[in-house]
Amino acid sequence: MQDSPPIRDFYPAIEPHETGRLPVGDGHELYYEVSGNPKGKPVLFLHGGPGGGTQPTQRRLFDPARYRIVLFDQRGAGQSTPSGSLVNSTTQHLVQDIETLRRHLRIKRWVVLGGSWGSTLALAYAGAHPEALVALVVRGIWLARKRDIDWWMYGLKRIYPDYWEEFAGHLHPWERDDIVEGYGRRLLDSDPKIHMPAAMSWRRFDQRASSLLPRADDPAPPGPRTLAVARIEYHYVRHLAFLGEGDLLRGVSRFRHVPGVIVHGRYDMIAPIDGAFALARAWPEAQFTLVEGESHAFSDPGIRRALLDATDRFADLA
Amino acid sequence: MPDQSLPADLYPAIEPYQSGMFPVGDGHRIYYELCGNPKGKPVVFLHGGPGSGSQPEHRRFFDPKRYRILLFDQRGCGRSTPIASIENNTTQHLIRDIEALREKLGVKRWVVFGGSWGSTLGLAYAMAHPEACTALVLRGIWLCRKADLQWWLYGVRSIFTEFWDEFANYLPAAGRGDILENYFKLLIHPDPAVHMPAAANWKTYESRIASLIPKPGAEKSQSPRTLAMSRIEAHYMRNAVFLPENALIEAVPRFRHVPGVIVHGRYDVICPAENAVALSRAWPEAQLTIVPDAGHSAMEPGIRSALVAATDQFADLD
Repeated sequence: MQDSPPIRDFYPAIEPHETGRLPVGDGHELYYEVSGNPKGKPVLFLHGGPGGGTQPTQRRLFDPARYRIVLFDQRGAGQSTPSGSLVNSTTQHLVQDIETLRRHLRIKRWVVLGGSWGSTLALAYAGAHPEALVALVVRGIWLARKRDIDWWMYGLKRIYPDYWEEFAGHLHPWERDDIVEGYGRRLLDSDPKIHMPAAMSWRRFDQRASSLLPRADDPAPPGPRTLAVARIEYHYVRHLAFLGEGDLLRGVSRFRHVPGVIVHGRYDMIAPIDGAFALARAWPEAQFTLVEGESHAFSDPGIRRALLDATDRFADLA
Repeated sequence: MPDQSLPADLYPAIEPYQSGMFPVGDGHRIYYELCGNPKGKPVVFLHGGPGSGSQPEHRRFFDPKRYRILLFDQRGCGRSTPIASIENNTTQHLIRDIEALREKLGVKRWVVFGGSWGSTLGLAYAMAHPEACTALVLRGIWLCRKADLQWWLYGVRSIFTEFWDEFANYLPAAGRGDILENYFKLLIHPDPAVHMPAAANWKTYESRIASLIPKPGAEKSQSPRTLAMSRIEAHYMRNAVFLPENALIEAVPRFRHVPGVIVHGRYDVICPAENAVALSRAWPEAQLTIVPDAGHSAMEPGIRSALVAATDQFADLD
């Protein structure tokens, strides 16, 4: 057994002192919020999905006395509008949006923390704008390689055959060789009787594969948020996140001098840990924390502790 | 009265009241031992590997007051001789050995208990001799289909990246495309300086990925038992355990009337849970338990509890 350091809880719940809506062009308007210390060190949180939207708990990864904490909902996600829109929504648009938001808030450089899809986006952003980074914290690394998508769509059957049967079983048998397209047809259908059950099935599968133990709640209730995240995830999966295979790892050379922390749970099933090893090998200067016995969820105790330790460490960095 | 609020756990450690070496032909002599109640219900324990041999803890899955417990070491392993021999060592030989032991001990029918490779052998035995089975208790199901071998040899890298790398990188780069054949060549090499380190690497790989939290220690030990396990496993794997693809699933109608329990850890990385669900779909009469917080090992707390509950349930069955 590893030594078990004491459990660390999140920082206390806080409310934003500033919220706003930022038009970023193409008809998209982004919800953003700022909490913590207005004079603190700026930090940007990048949510997952893509399309997952931000949650109040995510503010609590940062010391509110020392950080000026920025959360925003990416195009089409959360409280951003139009909800679930895929028009002009690519990784490159999201990277531009981060820059637009940074300038809007008059921030020169910031710490960036992202988990899951948020790690993908953080790496893409870091490769494009290394000069804007104080430090980078990534958790549940997802490199959006073809193998990562194949694992999600098919490989997970090995571990979660029961969940996978429900997921694939939503499609006709003859569609199951191309699950992404089978779901795409339904998710993009204009009829709610077709798109909503598909969105719930898609989302339930990725949420079940994201936690170590079965969840008590329904992770995918019917509604616009479930539809938005399923559509946006589909859209990015279908386009391999608008990235060339290997782009993210090649981009490391542009930001390797930035202090970095990589946190990954051994039983992260939705984003298997070989992605974290690949990143750690490409970026040996970063600190790699492998958390045994935990999963994809940033609320798992060891992962939470590693993230809090990282943000504390970077809070006083120049 | 046992405290019903506590989960079932292993029975106390016991010693055999009888043990011996049993010649089964072809020069093979099998170590066997009997524990528990000589007038109790017969149960046969089938160990894993193939080639792991039985261990004293394996006696503890059964109530010694109610069971007559047979453990034996399969051909070539544990205390059986000649150690590490793969001559005349096939699934069909092992099935015959089980029958020979049953006849020698004057047992008409028995409970068959096996985990990992022991589940494979238990199913193969039930397929050949359904009339000899009172009940089947199977854990960490391994069907040994092509996909299961591919997973063990390559797929595990997604989850235990660094352990797999160490396992594969023991071979020269040119040999890693066919890990099984190239390890096998080393494992059957007459020179201990060649076969022993290869065996130690093989076994270390498997031990590290066998439990939810990887166990340190007991690694890279070079002993005859290590050689036996590694060599016999590789021998059975490269022969697809001497059974046609899907033979075990297709054989279910032969023994489906036998009461059955299937126990599997959700995070079994050696034999992914897909094996258990595939068996369960073919054999819905059997009771399937997927333990949410367990890996492959029979000693994972949730697994051993479910196994002891199963043997308790069958102890009074006719």
